[in-house]
Amino acid sequence: MVPLSYNLRSLAVRKTTTLATALGIALVVFVLASVLMLSNGIRGTLERAGSEDVAIVLRKGSDTEMSSGIEDANVGVVASAKEVKRRGDGQPDAVGEVVVVVALDKKGTEGVSNVTVRGVPDDVFAFRPEARIVAGRAARPGGAEVVIGKGVRGNFKGVELGQSFELRKNRPVQVVGVFEANGSSYESEAWGDLNAVRTAFGREEMVSSIRVRLESPAKLDAFAVGVEQNKQLGLEVMREAEYLEKQSEGTAIFIQAMGTVIAVLFSIGAMIGAMITMYAAVAHRRREIGTLRALGFSRASILFSFIVESVLLALGGGLVGAGASLLMTFARFSTMNFTSWSEISFSFDATPGIIGGSLAFAAAMGLLGGLLPAVRAARMPPVQAMRA
Amino acid sequence: MTLFGLALRNLRRNRFRAILTALGVAVAILTFVLLRTVIWAWNVAAEYAAKDRIATRHKVSFVIQLPKRYIDDVRAIKGVKAATWANWFGAKDPKDPNNFFANMAVDPASFLEVYDEIVLPPQQKRAWLENRRGAIVGDVLARKMGVKIGDRVTLLGTIYAGDWPFEIVGIYSAARKSIDRSQFLFHWEYMNESMPERRRDLIGWIVARIDDPGRGADISAKIDSVFDVRDAQTITMSERSLQLSFMAMFSAMLRALDIVSIIILVIMMMILGNTIAMGVRERTGEYGVLRAVGFLPRHIATFIVGESIALGLVGGVLGIAISYPIVELGIGRFLEENMGSFFPYFRVDPKVAGAALLLSGLLGAAAAILPARGAARLSVIDSLRRVE
Repeated sequence: MVPLSYNLRSLAVRKTTTLATALGIALVVFVLASVLMLSNGIRGTLERAGSEDVAIVLRKGSDTEMSSGIEDANVGVVASAKEVKRRGDGQPDAVGEVVVVVALDKKGTEGVSNVTVRGVPDDVFAFRPEARIVAGRAARPGGAEVVIGKGVRGNFKGVELGQSFELRKNRPVQVVGVFEANGSSYESEAWGDLNAVRTAFGREEMVSSIRVRLESPAKLDAFAVGVEQNKQLGLEVMREAEYLEKQSEGTAIFIQAMGTVIAVLFSIGAMIGAMITMYAAVAHRRREIGTLRALGFSRASILFSFIVESVLLALGGGLVGAGASLLMTFARFSTMNFTSWSEISFSFDATPGIIGGSLAFAAAMGLLGGLLPAVRAARMPPVQAMRA
Repeated sequence: MTLFGLALRNLRRNRFRAILTALGVAVAILTFVLLRTVIWAWNVAAEYAAKDRIATRHKVSFVIQLPKRYIDDVRAIKGVKAATWANWFGAKDPKDPNNFFANMAVDPASFLEVYDEIVLPPQQKRAWLENRRGAIVGDVLARKMGVKIGDRVTLLGTIYAGDWPFEIVGIYSAARKSIDRSQFLFHWEYMNESMPERRRDLIGWIVARIDDPGRGADISAKIDSVFDVRDAQTITMSERSLQLSFMAMFSAMLRALDIVSIIILVIMMMILGNTIAMGVRERTGEYGVLRAVGFLPRHIATFIVGESIALGLVGGVLGIAISYPIVELGIGRFLEENMGSFFPYFRVDPKVAGAALLLSGLLGAAAAILPARGAARLSVIDSLRRVE
């Protein structure tokens, strides 16, 4: 077994080449880890909003809250189902909300982008305990006031504490508070008074969706059967978590697919880089290899040694790349969600699995890149090698 | 022998390494071309947008519809040649609910007049105008759905609930790259008459053709001022601005692709620079000999840079050559079929290919700067003394 220090010192002695190769691999790992973190962030952001014990009710056939519409009268019918949890005052724990989007000037671009506005009843914070005001105050009921999620704050014209934007002509709504909601997609929304929002959008006496908290997650089926059996309602029931997963599907798949293509191509490039470096290392060290063989090291240990060196080289680059990618967790990425047609702000979520996986990927690049050169080294006849 | 000839000869000395390097460069350039093509294709809709078309929508949000009588007001404005309207229908194919395609309710006669780059054979056009349940589809969508003229298709409504039967009466193609060839278009009247009273006579947006593209901004302002005093205000912009504003929603994604496409070039430079540096190190003695027989430092530098440029160009040409079949037969077709609304035309643009070729040469030169400078600066004695 050739000692590890031999490989480490060989790498150190050829520092320019080592650095160039390792940096190439670092960049590949950086891009790969960032893409994985982003698509993880997208799923996380959209799915965090969902609770297992909450069911969402939409009009049958509607994929999104935005395309759904339910008459006010039916909200009571749905909420009075016996599977729905009661609050302390005996009222059902349910909200009927209206969801619309408004086009606002996006800062830093010459275009506008869509922001989701949710018309919420007064007790919305009671229904969503994870949401809380972090700046300013809650909106007064019935008024022209909204609170904004911290994910959209400052990204659009007028979407900032103390400023205002228009829901209809001459009817500006004032931003009085900023809320956070556990990093979920709600943080990319603006919440206004239910009646003010639906009046502005000509949706009087309609809501987009009803959310109910069930007595237990297991009650979903019974609740769904009850609602869907009533054909007059024409509604359909989904678990909130499931609904949100569907919402994130398109965007997450798109980013993941693009990221995978990029990562595969990048890694081929980096692998070739590692291969060039290792071939050169083998060629330059013919004499050393011959000497090692003459000293009694077996072919297998030469093979192993060069593979180890290549993996070390790649891992070094991988560590730098993965470390740099952790900096991305401080950045936010705001893009349009294909399903809801509105902007959602995402974070890059790192998990030990992603970082570990990226490092394993770097090691694999080193292994594959180093394999052929190592085979060449191992097959060198010692006498000729020493004579070279 | 010229210096450049000598440089080329040098490439063949370590043929294996040169091939590997060229392959590495090729993969990098391929990735670069793919990424730039995504960005370019995203811009296609804006770049090839008709200059004489302007679109009017509700000022606050695309989810609020306009009264149908607005179309008459737009037609009455001086400078407007023709105007049409459409509603986003958003239905799904029940047989393949994950297949997203644009389906819109339009007024066929005026629609074809305003969008005259939609190519539809005359008898199919006549059939569409006469058949209220008739629908036309783009050739890309027709291939994907497997429908032909005379087929009956039922769509499942999401925004407009229910089952909607149609008969395919025409298949269109496009004379302009910005037209999405996977749309499903049908009679607005057919949809409107099935609506309950309160949802009747509402339209999604208006598109007008103007006689002088130069006056687009004036006419747009005029239209908006007419509706400013009505109950629904509008915003009118050119087709180009509309597309640009659509892209603004994805600005973060486009910027990310931009950055990644630069990173791959950096990786490519590292692979190339590494190879050149290795060659230079191995040949230090020869440079000493060349200097001793009278070649100047700049000659040495020239043929090192020349070798690098040649290697870069070989890899570049190879990469571009691979990118064509991959895009034309693989990715491009897939994206046009599945994401036609985003990528109506996904092909390698000659400008992108040209830029890639230029960059592979330029970066080849840049990658050689450091090794070339080092080699040129070495004194004759030093280089002759250096033994690798």
